[in-house]
Amino acid sequence: MANLFTGMPLRLIAAAVLLVNGLFPVLWLVLTSLKSETELTRVPITWLPDRATIANYVDAFSDQPLHIFLLNSFAVAILSTIATLLVSTFAAYALARLQLRFRALILSVIIAVSTFPLVTLLVPLFETMRALNLLNTYTALVLPYTVLSLPVCTLVLVSFFDGIPRDLENAAMVDGCTRLGALFKIVVPLAGPGVFTAAILAFVNAWDEFLLALSFNANPQIRTLPVGITLYQGEFAFPWPVISAALVAGIVPLAILIVIFQERVVSGLTAGGMKG
Amino acid sequence: MSEVMQSPAGIESRRRDWASLMDPSDRTLAIWLLAPTVVLLLLIIVYPVGRLVFTSFYNLSLTSGLPAQYVGFENFELMLEDPVFWDALWNTVLITIITVPGALLVGLGLALLANLPFRHRWPVRLALLVPWALPLAFVGLIFAWFFHSQYGVVNDVLARFGGPRIIWFNSPQWAFTAICLAIIWKTSSFVGLILLAGLQTIPRSLYEAADVDGAGRLRQFFEITLPLLRPAIVVALIFRTITALQTFDIPYTMTRGGPGTTTATLAMYIHQNTVSFLDLGYGSALAVAMFVLSMGVTVIYLRIMGRGH
Repeated sequence: MANLFTGMPLRLIAAAVLLVNGLFPVLWLVLTSLKSETELTRVPITWLPDRATIANYVDAFSDQPLHIFLLNSFAVAILSTIATLLVSTFAAYALARLQLRFRALILSVIIAVSTFPLVTLLVPLFETMRALNLLNTYTALVLPYTVLSLPVCTLVLVSFFDGIPRDLENAAMVDGCTRLGALFKIVVPLAGPGVFTAAILAFVNAWDEFLLALSFNANPQIRTLPVGITLYQGEFAFPWPVISAALVAGIVPLAILIVIFQERVVSGLTAGGMKG
Repeated sequence: MSEVMQSPAGIESRRRDWASLMDPSDRTLAIWLLAPTVVLLLLIIVYPVGRLVFTSFYNLSLTSGLPAQYVGFENFELMLEDPVFWDALWNTVLITIITVPGALLVGLGLALLANLPFRHRWPVRLALLVPWALPLAFVGLIFAWFFHSQYGVVNDVLARFGGPRIIWFNSPQWAFTAICLAIIWKTSSFVGLILLAGLQTIPRSLYEAADVDGAGRLRQFFEITLPLLRPAIVVALIFRTITALQTFDIPYTMTRGGPGTTTATLAMYIHQNTVSFLDLGYGSALAVAMFVLSMGVTVIYLRIMGRGH
């Protein structure tokens, strides 16, 4: 009886349920992006495209400056990832290696920050960025995104640093290496997988953020992808084929990241997991 | 500070070397290493929160061009009498109490399925990661297309089973249903990943022992799986609750709060008052309400976590 439940059919059904649930919306989006406008406005609807076309992709890039949105998203995500990594590597090293009287307190503060409602920062940050003339700049987003990813990256790095034997650093320091030198020449390379995991989490956080990007950077030249794509919709019209193509263009970088680095992402999520 | 680390007596001498080499500067180094974090937190969290509370007591509207004027609790009194605030708050709470348990149940189902002994794990893992990685704003747009009254796949499937053609976004109830379904789909895979990691820490031997004792699958689930999964469930619940209270992206991209303001959330109302109306005083009062709500949940969370350890 027990074997019946762990047998092949159940596993096949389970795999089918998981794959359809996880991938169908994206698959449907890709199918939509390949259909012509006339095919999409036909009832009953078609599932597979009659004649696949890339016209929607051409339109997606010509109707709006999609390449600029992509560039902005990359710039903001990469800049905030680098900033997060630098700041959280320092903090995590201090927390993992140095004898701190307030270690437990500092860790609690970092966890508390991770539950902080970003929405409430909208008003004061908007006011400050406006006063400092930083609206419609990368800085307006890079600073808050760095703080957004700081807790999870610090926690992931602390757990990786804890797993590296201290003897290696000690030996390097006895040989005349400074503490900071040991951090960058010994600890960071050995914690490479952890640093990488933290980088992916920070990148995805920044790539996905919508509210602050929508509020601070409304200028078309500086819009990130999620904000830019919502602007394809006119007052009354939703050009679905073009929006689908633009969405697919925005998903491709994420898809590449998670297909290649899926194991890292899962380990990072479960080590410091806090995005939903 | 002087008690360095516990280490075997064999490396005692090296430990002392290391300690004497580093101890004097450890404290200074720690301060320098933690300084960037502290500066960022002061700049992006502590100062803005102070600013927020300050502004909530002022009449500060950027459209009027007038300087800020102290008005005491006027913004809060206005808020308590504002029916749109209560609607937005109610929608936010409703989204939370529907989508958090919803995502937990669906996520638990996904985790149990994903924990089966598959020969290749990567397709299953990928299927859980894709919804997690998608931007919420993209999910809102994708589901708006799913629920399109004429050309949407949901109505197409309903029609194939003889169901009615629902005009999802014309009715507050159906629009709200569509939003909740989109949120549950998006967030259940994150819950699933956390619970799957929890499931994988449960030793197989417990189930084997239960098999020997003749306990059925259902009893095993309720007496082994669920209790041992409790810490993972608590973590997933809390993070889900806190993000649900801040719901913005999915309703904004799906309905813009419509029809009317029937699907607007508190975060959307804060955004509207701040960015569209430039009424920073009132926006701040609303944000203070959000802050209190979130902190309440965090305090409950820390209590539960504290009791767990």
